Amino acid sequence: MIMICPGCSCLCDDITIKDGKIFNACRRGEEIFGRYKENRARAMVDGKEVDVDAAIGKAVEILKEAKNPAIYGLDTTVVEAQKLAVELAEKLNAYIDDNSSFCLGELVEAVLKKEMPTATLDDVRDNAYVIIYWGSNPFHSLPRHMSRYSYYPRGAKRPRGYDEDRYLVVVDVRKSETAVLAKKNAKFIQVDDDAELVDSFFKAMDGKAAKYAQDVGIILNEMKKADFNVIFGGLGLKYGLKDLKMFVELVKKLNEVAPVYFIPAGFHANMRGFNETLFEKTGYVNKYSFRDGSSDDSFAFTELLMNEKIDAALIVGTDPIYSLPHDVSAKLGKIKTIVVDPRMSFTARVADVVIPSAISGIEMSGTMVRSDGVRIKLEAIEEREVNDIHILKKIMEGL
Amino acid sequence: MRFSKFLKVEADIVVARYSLLMVETKSSVEPVIFLHPEFAKKSGVKEGDVVEVEANGRTVKLKAKLSENAPENGGIIPNGIFASYLTNFEGFKRFKANIEVAEGEPTDVEEIIKSFKS
Repeated sequence: MIMICPGCSCLCDDITIKDGKIFNACRRGEEIFGRYKENRARAMVDGKEVDVDAAIGKAVEILKEAKNPAIYGLDTTVVEAQKLAVELAEKLNAYIDDNSSFCLGELVEAVLKKEMPTATLDDVRDNAYVIIYWGSNPFHSLPRHMSRYSYYPRGAKRPRGYDEDRYLVVVDVRKSETAVLAKKNAKFIQVDDDAELVDSFFKAMDGKAAKYAQDVGIILNEMKKADFNVIFGGLGLKYGLKDLKMFVELVKKLNEVAPVYFIPAGFHANMRGFNETLFEKTGYVNKYSFRDGSSDDSFAFTELLMNEKIDAALIVGTDPIYSLPHDVSAKLGKIKTIVVDPRMSFTARVADVVIPSAISGIEMSGTMVRSDGVRIKLEAIEEREVNDIHILKKIMEGL
Repeated sequence: MRFSKFLKVEADIVVARYSLLMVETKSSVEPVIFLHPEFAKKSGVKEGDVVEVEANGRTVKLKAKLSENAPENGGIIPNGIFASYLTNFEGFKRFKANIEVAEGEPTDVEEIIKSFKS
């Protein structure tokens, strides 16, 4: 059986399961396929086990009574469920947001608005010469990114192997595992402030002196040798630069020197799917208010929580207690929380309502969008009736 | 008793994914900090020590491991509930913390969950 891995935004399509053994998966993927039956969520209301319909009924009751509800998460579910969640938010006049508002949403938005040239990972594999990982450590976050799509594979126009036909650049605040790989035909730039490196690129292109001028000059010369170069930007870039517009301008300016494409690197399996789904509907990728008909930083789920602007949250497939700063997630205790999740996540353990769902891509078929925008169809190993689509439909009917 | 027990040092902390420890089932999380070997040496921390990490007025106890991939003047806390407990959005993925060798066991994740229930 050949499966697609829903573990991260690489959506690897060569996972083979044979005689109970999992082949080709990275260490994360192996755990996802090998342990998907563990720590499963149970239907709960106020800490007591109930049946699924009762939990859905309570969720409907909370959402009906809420004056300012929000829907949050959705980055690990399929596009078909994301569309339903957007419809539900519209029906409730609610806020809707995902993890991308504090992850790479701004960069995905720039790509969708065509402010930066982009490409597919397959294009990268076949063509890319200079490959920059900026604030990204795929060794841990996207373990097969480099071996399947970027640095290591021999591509149609890059047949001679990575040490001759690729030029690797790693930008990080520390010598990450990926930075250690930057040896021959490669460069590791250890930054303290990413803005200084952006500034150095601008100055070097204008022939001026700058902090990283020497390194940047070498990289620019390498870029000029090729008709295809790529920058993968990760969370380190997002949090290393206060103003991401600087980075967007840099990519534009680099294209005056040589063709340079940008692809976001990081995030959950279908975060880009959420961004594209909401973008198609509203023109914005995240932090959207149907009541206001617009997107705003103050509509980010984290801001709504911090500023106590919401009284109920439907949290789908994400675990804010695990991933959000404590100052923010502690505010969950002040509102009604409904968690839809296949796992008994940390947030599920303290939620008012828990609705157990199916694991997308393993127990629910559907579409996800890879980090480069390619849509991938996932076929479940075994379909589970109570999945995100079923739950969201039931809630919609109940309302 | 080691002299380092009384030594509180400031550390650069990077929060990063660490796939070797990620539990995809969300059933548990290992309380660990990866310190740069040079930083650990000058701070008197040995591999396996329990260290108290304090930032933004909150404290957790983590087991110290060593990694050359950590920032030279500090360590990596894997993305997850312990890092989230310490951080805020001002320094979501990179912040300063105070570190000292501590007695006892690393913080049990249940203690953090309890703080939400209360």
